[in-house]
Amino acid sequence: MDYVGKSIKRVDGIKKVTGYTKYTDDIKMSKMLYAKAKRSPLAHAKILSIDTSKAEKLPGVKAVITGKDIPIRVGLYLEDKTFLAVDKVRYAGEAVAAVAADTVEIATEACELIEVEYEKLPGVYGIKDAIAKDAPLVHEDLGEYKHGSIFFPEPGTNISNHYKIIKGDINKGFAEADYIFENEYYVPHIQHSPIETHSTIAQAEPDGKLNVWAGCQSPYAVRAALSAALELPLHKVRVSSPQVGGGFGGKAGTTLEGIVIPLAQKCLGRPVKLTYTREEEFIASFVRQGLLGKMKTGVRKDGKIVAQEITYYWDGGAYTEYGVNIARSGGYSSVGPYDVENVRADSLCVYTNHPVGGPYRGFGMSEIHFCIEQNMDAVAAAMNIDPAEFRRINCLKEGGHNVTGQQVFNVGLTDCIEAVTEDMKWEEKVNTEIKDGKIRGKGISLAFKAPSMPNNVPSSSIVRFNEDGTAHLSVTAMDIGQGSDTVLTQIASEVLQLPPEKILITTGDTENTPYEWQTVASRITYCAGNAVYRAAEDAKSQFLELGAKGLGLSPEEVELKEEAVVSKADPDKRMPFSSLSMGLTMPDGSGIHGPIIGRGAFIPPEVKDTDPETGQGEKPTAFWTYGAQVSEVEIDIETGDIRVPTTAAAFNVGKVINPQLCEAQIEGGIVQGLGSVLWEELVLEKGIAKNPSYVDYKIPTSVDIPEMKVSLIEIAEPTGPYGARGVAEPAMVATAPSIANAVYNALGVRIETMPLTKERILNAVKQSKKVQDYLKNMK
Amino acid sequence: MNKYDYIKAKTLDEVSKLLIEKNGKATILNGGTDLLVRLRENLIEPELVIDIKGIKELRGISFDDQVGLTIGALTTMNELGEIDEINKNYAFLADAAHTVGSVQIRNRATLVGNICNASPLADTATSLLVLNAKINTYHVEKGERTISIHEFFTGPRTNSLELGEIVVSITIPTVKGKGVYLKNARRAEVDLSTVAVAAFKDDKNQYKIALGSVAATPIRAFKAEEILNNGDVTDATVLQAAKVARETATPITDIRASKDYRSEMVEVMTKRAIKKLLEA
Amino acid sequence: MVEINFTINGEKVNKQVDPNKTLLKYIREDLDLTGTKEGCGAGECGACTVLVDGKAVNSCLMLAVEADGKEITTIEGVSDGYNLDPLQEAFIENAALQCGFCTPGMIMSAKALLKKNPTPNEDEVKSAISGNLCRCTGYKKIIDAIMDISKQNSKERGDE
Repeated sequence: MDYVGKSIKRVDGIKKVTGYTKYTDDIKMSKMLYAKAKRSPLAHAKILSIDTSKAEKLPGVKAVITGKDIPIRVGLYLEDKTFLAVDKVRYAGEAVAAVAADTVEIATEACELIEVEYEKLPGVYGIKDAIAKDAPLVHEDLGEYKHGSIFFPEPGTNISNHYKIIKGDINKGFAEADYIFENEYYVPHIQHSPIETHSTIAQAEPDGKLNVWAGCQSPYAVRAALSAALELPLHKVRVSSPQVGGGFGGKAGTTLEGIVIPLAQKCLGRPVKLTYTREEEFIASFVRQGLLGKMKTGVRKDGKIVAQEITYYWDGGAYTEYGVNIARSGGYSSVGPYDVENVRADSLCVYTNHPVGGPYRGFGMSEIHFCIEQNMDAVAAAMNIDPAEFRRINCLKEGGHNVTGQQVFNVGLTDCIEAVTEDMKWEEKVNTEIKDGKIRGKGISLAFKAPSMPNNVPSSSIVRFNEDGTAHLSVTAMDIGQGSDTVLTQIASEVLQLPPEKILITTGDTENTPYEWQTVASRITYCAGNAVYRAAEDAKSQFLELGAKGLGLSPEEVELKEEAVVSKADPDKRMPFSSLSMGLTMPDGSGIHGPIIGRGAFIPPEVKDTDPETGQGEKPTAFWTYGAQVSEVEIDIETGDIRVPTTAAAFNVGKVINPQLCEAQIEGGIVQGLGSVLWEELVLEKGIAKNPSYVDYKIPTSVDIPEMKVSLIEIAEPTGPYGARGVAEPAMVATAPSIANAVYNALGVRIETMPLTKERILNAVKQSKKVQDYLKNMK
Repeated sequence: MNKYDYIKAKTLDEVSKLLIEKNGKATILNGGTDLLVRLRENLIEPELVIDIKGIKELRGISFDDQVGLTIGALTTMNELGEIDEINKNYAFLADAAHTVGSVQIRNRATLVGNICNASPLADTATSLLVLNAKINTYHVEKGERTISIHEFFTGPRTNSLELGEIVVSITIPTVKGKGVYLKNARRAEVDLSTVAVAAFKDDKNQYKIALGSVAATPIRAFKAEEILNNGDVTDATVLQAAKVARETATPITDIRASKDYRSEMVEVMTKRAIKKLLEA
Repeated sequence: MVEINFTINGEKVNKQVDPNKTLLKYIREDLDLTGTKEGCGAGECGACTVLVDGKAVNSCLMLAVEADGKEITTIEGVSDGYNLDPLQEAFIENAALQCGFCTPGMIMSAKALLKKNPTPNEDEVKSAISGNLCRCTGYKKIIDAIMDISKQNSKERGDE
């Protein structure tokens, strides 16, 4: 192939390295106004009154709104959220009012002049609080909320979704087991921390049409939410997204867009911009939910797991309109990439007075794999089986069945395990020896993920040609950094045999680019890629038909080659695209057909609902991506300092469309995983975030990275474009558990929570028989 | 919204007079890496910001065998590492300065600014303590004076400067020996210190040890020093000194670490610092 | 307002600036040079890195008025307007950028490093950019890109 499979350079590279690319906050428009939100200092409180009169009088203030201006509840999967708090606030930092003014400074001052009277309510500060008997309710009206049929809220409680898996018969399974192990793990909240904070500009035209510029992963999802919240028809709401400066899920769905619009509607015609500060980014945009995972595992003597009983409690925060699906995904992935015959899993999304949980790269997979993979490792250790071997015995293989009962193919897990164990010399057991006060260990983790999306969500693409044979490729798949602009162009190039330099891709405008559900779920190469493939094929068939006519041949006798329709038998007989793109001119001077426009639409085939009671189904997801990772750690036994010198990861990506960009994705995912396991935690005390800034929320820097070896396995996904699957999220999932398992390997002590701070490691060192014996012998 | 006036001072007298006139409502702008953060968060609301970077007396380095090395108030953290005298004799001070923030921060942040902010976490403070640094100041009415670094820090973020008094330079008295700065932080670079230890052994084998981030101010571990200076330095006395240093510290628990961990690190890092000096 | 004189990307200018504005906001809002980004406004992320007299600095921690008498270079001043700087080419060659938001700051820090030390080793590169946060790339390819220039410079100097 000429383009697919090659490391074509990013089509947006030059604009980005010169600083030319515009992100939302870079946009300046005439008569622009600037917005600021007033935020609740309390985590759970009734709003008794809001007095905006002083703010309104401040010179330079043009509009002030409260929740009453946009009270309609919306939500992607469960309609439980409003853009501004209406009757009560449910998390510290929730917006209760907003101001549009001539400058940010005036808007900020105006917010300080808004007087809000609160009545404190008892707070729900974590999972335990939320599920306790007689717990205060975060959403008293849960029973009235509209929701997708595949979600199961429990009104009168704080449970917004209870997803069940019942596979086989766990009583029979446990009876068969020779050993039973019970473990519990906790994963705290973290935040996406894209380097670009959220930003939105809204403008209301005098005839009621709305224009929104929002750096977002899903312009169409934003449009749908705004249309619902404002009771406007879809065609009157335009959402376009400038370049997104990192999303990782945090810019999926909606966050602040609904705050700016009612302000814009009060300042007809004037654009209103709201850009989050870093502090707001930490507390008032999506966070990754906390997870409490309980695992009971029954194993036979020979190492085969025969039964698992799992409960996942997700700390979903104040609004779980998105989080309910994370609980669901956690549920249908609950045992991890393993073939377990008998499973009972309950995955519960729980309301708390914490920041809003939402999609974070992995959509629940990073969180559950910390539990699953440490549990696997713990069971292997207890049974004295090599951790890699234990994975091999139990992992999904060709024709096996995952926890939904789905039979799986094109798995490639054993290939991934082989690749990473070889790269990291797994067989050379990292020594028990402590050198220079440092001890090392190696740990393995598997990972898998399916795109978590409703079964029937569509993607579409249009490719249209210019008179000179160049083309415009139109999608609403967002290049949030992953390189979709380049990869989708490559796919079109391959089908059309037209080099990428001759195709211009445009994206991200609901008024001008065709429907794309969302850029999330590692679905774009697969879904939008298929849509682009079909659009290109559609254009190709028009070219072949017209070209054949023009050459006096039948369509089967011609092919596309070097930007022309060419006779297979006689390559000198050719009609270049430029002679066909506007239609075919016949010898008598008349013309037929008209401009060539290729249309492509795609919905993943045959993805069906699962049984609401048992979670069992034939094909619950479009595809699964599997992978493995081995990490080595080095621990300073006196300070608890931990370094990760090397790591190796392998993923079955089906088909690598762009090797360099694929590797880049995985490296980024690994380092993001590193951050989550070594430093990151959004520390919440009674609902208040203690570290909403980079001073005390540390993400990895250039000096922290391990040496990374990445292997790309290619066992095709039959329904993917050229056999490709998505890998964006799986890239992160195995990192944290592989490091935690390496710590266990080094110390013989397991740390059942994240992050693995120096203090936690030092405490583990003190409990480590291995280390303490060594130190005793030294003396 | 706090709006301040800005003035770029031309002379020391001007600065001193303005500080007195404004009676606490004026603040000095040097490197700005601390001030601008505080302005943004409204932790400080001055009426006047006085930029001192145009005052020539504050610029430059001078060396005198008798007096020592005098470093002007405008000298940045990165510039410290470019001074020959420092690299020859006090490299550990440059090392300490090098752990402050990032390259970008170090191109603006100044040594004098670091100690005037008087944070118990100040990375350069402990090295200056073991070097017995002297702080040279100027006051328009009271003239010049020199404050020992040991009398400079009075509490978290408070120093002993009087109203109208500004620091002109820091002098490191001439001393021969080897020093080391160890910093424990969460992340390898660009982080505030959790615990810091600076140690110096002069050419008469006398030790000085200072601890950072474990008390209200950076402190000397005098009792630990005594153990090393009044007897033989053996494995046992090193461990003992480290233990005693630990007892000197009064760390707190905060978001970065618990007091128990800090306490233990004082002992570990003091031991390591002394061992490093022994090997040197 | 305070009157100042400075050079921005090679152009000498005389301006009236609001002393209450940071250099970052001034560059973005008054000079309309939006390549320099605000990631945190507090000197922690490096997205706002510019060169002041050739040295990398967080422009969010400088007041606009402090630009007086200085030579400021932003990302817009890196290429000559016709050709990309070899460092920019290296970034593209190595896929050293993804969302691109940290890229301008990253390039400025790299430029400052290479000016001072044209042939850095990998550790020196890592330390030079440790004040520039990136969430997308994992830094590996950024380091590779800068090392490419370092190796090119070594070759040109004849020290293989």
